[in-house]
Amino acid sequence: MEVVLGIRAKDGVILATSKAFTRGISVLKATDDKTRILNDYNILGFTGEGGDTTQFADYIQANIQLSTMREGTELNSKAIASYVRYELAKSLRTRKPFQVNVMLAGLDKREEPFLSLIDYLGTRVDLPYAAHGYAAFYTMSLLDRHYTPDISVEDGLKLLDMCEKELVKRFPMEFKGLLVKVVDKKGIRVVKGNE
Amino acid sequence: MSQQDPSTINGGSAVAMVGKDCVAIASDLRLGQQSMGVSNDFEKIFHYGHVFLGLTGLGTDVLTVSENFRMKTNLYKMAEQREIEPESFANLVSTSLYEKRFGPWFVGPIVAGLNSISSKPFVCGFDYIGCIDYAKDFIVAGTASEQLFGMCESLYEPNLEPDDLFETISQALLNAVDRDALSGWGAVVYVITKDKVVKRYLKTRQD
Amino acid sequence: MSRRYDSRTTIFSPEGRLYQVEYALEAINHAGTAIGVLAKDGVVLAAERKVTSKLLEQDTSAEKMYLLNDNTLCAVAGMTADAGILINYMRNSAQGYLKVYNQDIPIETLVRRVCDVKQGYTQHGGLRPFGVSFIFAGYDDRYGFQLYTSNPSGNYSGWKAASIGANNSSAQTLLKQDYKDDISFDEAKKLALKVLSKTTDSSKLASDKVEFATVLLKDKAPVLKIWKPAEIDKLLEESGVLEESKDDDN
Repeated sequence: MEVVLGIRAKDGVILATSKAFTRGISVLKATDDKTRILNDYNILGFTGEGGDTTQFADYIQANIQLSTMREGTELNSKAIASYVRYELAKSLRTRKPFQVNVMLAGLDKREEPFLSLIDYLGTRVDLPYAAHGYAAFYTMSLLDRHYTPDISVEDGLKLLDMCEKELVKRFPMEFKGLLVKVVDKKGIRVVKGNE
Repeated sequence: MSQQDPSTINGGSAVAMVGKDCVAIASDLRLGQQSMGVSNDFEKIFHYGHVFLGLTGLGTDVLTVSENFRMKTNLYKMAEQREIEPESFANLVSTSLYEKRFGPWFVGPIVAGLNSISSKPFVCGFDYIGCIDYAKDFIVAGTASEQLFGMCESLYEPNLEPDDLFETISQALLNAVDRDALSGWGAVVYVITKDKVVKRYLKTRQD
Repeated sequence: MSRRYDSRTTIFSPEGRLYQVEYALEAINHAGTAIGVLAKDGVVLAAERKVTSKLLEQDTSAEKMYLLNDNTLCAVAGMTADAGILINYMRNSAQGYLKVYNQDIPIETLVRRVCDVKQGYTQHGGLRPFGVSFIFAGYDDRYGFQLYTSNPSGNYSGWKAASIGANNSSAQTLLKQDYKDDISFDEAKKLALKVLSKTTDSSKLASDKVEFATVLLKDKAPVLKIWKPAEIDKLLEESGVLEESKDDDN
């Protein structure tokens, strides 16, 4: 029961992931980072089967960086989202598919805030705000009510705080708080959760 | 329907109708994870030249199959130096789906279009392994297909003009998806005539 | 004597040459000329079709100009049959890229991919190299309008104006003389035809001997066009290239 939450604001994108690293009934770590930085303006958040998750995210990260070296130019967010979806859809019909759900946050062409939700089947939707797994049941109502397309990153973070409070109150499992990252014109930064 | 039936995880419906020298094709815009709605702009109608394809079923396969047909029709266009016709495209869909007979794409495709030479309207549908269902009136697909059959059977009449066909297909789709929890959340309708294609978005109930 | 080093594609001669590759390049120097001109607002390709017999069907489609995808086309000089293999590869490659990334393949990426194939045949033994040079014309977001050439060795390079095939060195000289950095699309069309008319053997250019293709931008999307014979005749008429070449004869 991991949390991955994203909000696309007008001037950037927020990506939040739960910090608990869990195996069975034990929390093994309280400072887990379920994201990978793909390049200067794109990050990938992920949840799913332990092992598959980091294996897949590292694979994507390496291939995006390889592509940047080969082509001498960075892939934009939409192309990265298409590529990640392609890999998951390809994996789905193999003997042992990756059981990984991902969320891509970035500035498309270093301009346009972009958020894409992709599940382990390869179902991709580009959304203004999104959550994976059970967290969606607790947070979508808040996001539906308070989100506006012209929301700022600052207000987006306040909305995310409301979501986190709701999760702390109603989520049946300890998730050790959220690690919150923002992608905007200045690049990628951690705004909360790495203290 | 089991909770893990691939054809009902994401939900969604589509319908196509024949009119007088015109065809129409429409779909809802919902994509969900079981009962939870996730997206309200997931369009299920694609076009390759003047041929239109509606794809319902498993979301990931809708995307994959639509991309595969884009590839195949682009290569066809360069090899033949013309766009593919609806009849040929229907056979392409059929053989492409049957190719995956023992590991299928979980999609319910429908095809609509006018033959560019004869201007003859064409609609057809398929099961998920490619059996073609030719129709001279209408074709339905998706999680609201039973409701769509009911609506089409009662509303459809032959030789409708484009405007009337738009009204008929829209009412058929709207009232069908309202009786299906997995379809709805907006709709898109294409009315295709010889010299123009009109695309309209419909407002629908948001529940 | 020379047989010792040229029977296999992959073997260097003592002078450090690859004879089979050089023979392939030589074969192309006898093929019909193809010319490309890059303008600020478009790209022009023109090529000479060598007519081998008057019995040959003339109205069949272009045989030296090929669309590769929605934003790239190419002109061929050399063995058309060899080119067919590479063109097929490029078309599939471009569609494969489109499927994975949902955007058109960058021109240079496509050119590099086909050149990797060509290079392979200069190194792996048993087969001859592709006897084909290409001129690529296209548009993408990264570099805008672009013009490239490639040859059988697998080298490629970007150009403002380029030529391949018969008389390519004299064509290149003419292009260097008349090319201006701020050349417009219409001037580029005229320049390409002018250079082609001066470098071809035939006394008078006509649509049965000329192929023509262009890349333009309309509503921010590339528009590729392989010209029809009637359009080429009209263009030849309007460009005044026919009169100029007549003057030269006198």
